[in-house]
Amino acid sequence: MSQLDSRPRDSDRKTRVHLSLFDRSKFLLLFGLVFLILVWASLANDPLLSLSDAVITEFNARSWIIALTGIEIVRQIHFFFAEKAAGYHKIWQRYFAFVDKTVHRISDWNRYRLSRAIKALLMVALLAVVLGAIYKETPIKALFLAPQALWSALPMLGQLAFAVVFIVIQFFAMFWFLSRGGIDTYFPDDIRTRFTDVWGQDHVLNRIRENLMFLESPEAIEEHGGYVPGGILLWGPPGTGKTLMAESMAGETGKPFVFVDPGAFNNMFFGVGVLKVKSLFRKLRKLALRYGGVVVFFDEADSLGNRGITTTGSRASESSIFGSQCHGGNYLSKAGANIVFQDQFVAGTAMGGGGGGGMGTLQALLTELSGLKKPRGFFNRVLRRTLGMRPKNPPKYRILVVMATNLPEALDEALLRPGRIDRMYRVGYPSKAGRIRTYEGYLEKVSHSLTQDEIEKLATITPYATGATIKDTINEALIMAIRHGRTSITWADVIKAKQLKDLGPAEDVEYIERERHAVAVHEACHGTMAYLVRHHMAIDLATIEKGSDYLGMVASIPPDDQFTRWRTEYESDILVSLASLAGERIFFDGDNSSGVSGDLESATTIASFMEGHWGMGSTVSSHASNRRNDIGAPGGGKGKDDGVRELRMALADRIEENLGGLLAKAEDILRKNRDDVLALAHALEIHKTISGEDVDAVMQGVIGPLVDGRPYKDQQNREAIERYHEAALKAHKGHQKPDIEIPRF
Amino acid sequence: MKFQGLRRSVIAIELIALAILLAACGKPSQQYATDKADGVYFTVPLGWTKIPTLAINSVEAKSTSAGAADRLAAVHWQVAYTLDKSLKAEQVLSLKTPAKPVVYVRVRSLLPDEINAVSYNTLRNLVVPITTWASGSDPTAPALSIADDAEVVEKGGRGIQTQYTFRAADGLDQTIVQAALMSNDHSTMYIMIARCSSTCFTAHSKEIAKIVKSFTVRGPK
Repeated sequence: MSQLDSRPRDSDRKTRVHLSLFDRSKFLLLFGLVFLILVWASLANDPLLSLSDAVITEFNARSWIIALTGIEIVRQIHFFFAEKAAGYHKIWQRYFAFVDKTVHRISDWNRYRLSRAIKALLMVALLAVVLGAIYKETPIKALFLAPQALWSALPMLGQLAFAVVFIVIQFFAMFWFLSRGGIDTYFPDDIRTRFTDVWGQDHVLNRIRENLMFLESPEAIEEHGGYVPGGILLWGPPGTGKTLMAESMAGETGKPFVFVDPGAFNNMFFGVGVLKVKSLFRKLRKLALRYGGVVVFFDEADSLGNRGITTTGSRASESSIFGSQCHGGNYLSKAGANIVFQDQFVAGTAMGGGGGGGMGTLQALLTELSGLKKPRGFFNRVLRRTLGMRPKNPPKYRILVVMATNLPEALDEALLRPGRIDRMYRVGYPSKAGRIRTYEGYLEKVSHSLTQDEIEKLATITPYATGATIKDTINEALIMAIRHGRTSITWADVIKAKQLKDLGPAEDVEYIERERHAVAVHEACHGTMAYLVRHHMAIDLATIEKGSDYLGMVASIPPDDQFTRWRTEYESDILVSLASLAGERIFFDGDNSSGVSGDLESATTIASFMEGHWGMGSTVSSHASNRRNDIGAPGGGKGKDDGVRELRMALADRIEENLGGLLAKAEDILRKNRDDVLALAHALEIHKTISGEDVDAVMQGVIGPLVDGRPYKDQQNREAIERYHEAALKAHKGHQKPDIEIPRF
Repeated sequence: MKFQGLRRSVIAIELIALAILLAACGKPSQQYATDKADGVYFTVPLGWTKIPTLAINSVEAKSTSAGAADRLAAVHWQVAYTLDKSLKAEQVLSLKTPAKPVVYVRVRSLLPDEINAVSYNTLRNLVVPITTWASGSDPTAPALSIADDAEVVEKGGRGIQTQYTFRAADGLDQTIVQAALMSNDHSTMYIMIARCSSTCFTAHSKEIAKIVKSFTVRGPK
């Protein structure tokens, strides 16, 4: 196998590269072919013409092809000599070098322009020659005849063009129609809702008012070098009035208000969402120019979706909403928040991308929100440039983007950056004053006999009420009143309505006596403990009526808006939770029911967080960071293999120890207040459901709204209740009916 | 090895091309007269002189007879070939007996009143009223002998080809071969007239026969 020799370089070669046979003959073949075609054409034109005569006449008539053939033959002869004779080749090489040198004296740029001009002229000349041959005119004249032919051919060209774009047009039309809809425009005075119709969110409203003011008179800020904030995000729990706020903005502003449906960007076809975004913003720009500003509102902005985990990694915790540990979950009810607290971060991050319009819709929106301030429009860009003018820069579009969502963690981080969404307002649960105002507002619409004090109390006992739930409660109360043949709402109606809303309808299940007593004792333990130790919460109601997922319950509410929680409060929470287990063991001779499972779960959860997260246990270090950084907990193991297990054990041991101590404390408290527990159980057995004030009445021996508490302070009655408990305990053990009836006072 | 076949075929093609080029270094074997627009073709031997369309047109334009202008306007193509180099265009259109053969071809539209009137006899009587003369009803008719009278069917039309000899006004016997065809849609008439004195005709009968035979009517495309 011989070694592969590399080809000699061009500069090393003495002769020209040998041409292949095909390259040598291809032009001759082409000319021959053209000549044959011409002969064939003339034969076809005259039936009398013989082949030889046709060849002769064509030969005489088409001298140019002979000339070209001659040139080609000369060229090939030249190549042949250049391939064989080094001297001959050298002469030509020198000549070409000279030509190159001469030509390259002109700058590259000029050569490029010159060559373009020459090419254009050549094209025109060629066209003229061809046209001249077609029209049998001089080429120059034919050049002027051609446009006429083009004009007459236009209809056919049009038909052809139509045929070509026919399908394209169908798609175009389909997409055009698909990209309609989902976007409603309201003009000032179309909507009557005003800021005064939004109650209890004054702090947010003030900020929004400020935004609107800047939109109405942007000069106020632009004159001083600032810019009008372009975006507001309203986030918060459902029903807190985000949409209502947007509606009031629409009513309040003197600018058009564009309402974007949550589903507007969901589409069957790829790209329609993008088209929709583009057409939306085209519309917004138009409106902004025509009316000097426009407000656009994206309801349920989470439907826009996100692109998944961003470069920052843990999106949820880095997002500006979640700047602190006081994260988006704190609008949940306190108990719920405590439990969900940890899971939410996990869910937020693990959720990944997707959702929403998808398929580039979000990206299109992001681009439109803070896209290049580029010149727009056909006339602006094309026509002005054609006329040699520079396109005009777009004017300042004053578009105020308002988004509302109750899942801020589902929004894309890029959407929330300043410049797109400048301001983020949490629309939380209304303040107490706001709730009072809301109750008053809705009560104004109906007939009622509630005093101002009662309305305030109502606002107090409904701490997480939103506009929506308040409206619903009042309506439910009205239904109750109407059911009882009245048209005016009373305090009792409202309370019943609230209980119905909070607890759901009672199931109307009659417990057998011994079970009724057990449930009553269980709830009475909670109630008594709550009354005694939990001062940061007030008992709202206590019931032993079976609901869908509980046998009975003692519900507490915070009397004031409170934003910090303390160790003593959590301890009292745990005591209240553990009271059921402690109480059942005391009153049923160490026996206890499975009904305490929920109580133990919440007690353990709170105790775990106290120990591991809140610095309320025996150690200081945070279990959350220990776990994240993969280091052991204080007192736990450090080994590679069982570190986690030991850590867990260490933590669990401390939690158990904590809970054990609190259980003992609960037992101690209940033993000392045995009479009160039984009294409360008795009241529950008699009345089934009592309010917090009734609990107070039983404890203090005074008259409550439903229960008269005075008999419970009487020694004889107390003994009777104790006897009944003994009988019930006996019945419990023997699975029989108690032998004495429940005493009534 | 692999390119041997290709090489051979390329050489062969080049040789054929060369042969064509060499063959082309000559003159056509005959003259081709064509009217592509109407699809009318005939050939004339080399050596015959062409009297072009324009010359004949200008002569006809001088005619003062009734309807002459209309008839000229209807003419698509007319051309004549003759062996008489001095023959003038006027003589092509006159009945004077030529000393050397003249072939005249004329293609024209039929005028509206002619379309329904044209018959094979009309076609026979285009030059002289031979049907009348042959019937003997005209005592002033000159001596006439019809050598041939047959129907001609071409792709573009059909008609009558007649060869006859008669004593012309100048006292000479003149032989005429005339082929007159009507297009299939009766819109166009194709005429070829070849004539000469009888002696001359006999002398050039082969050439004239060949010309008449080459007369081809395809009709417009």
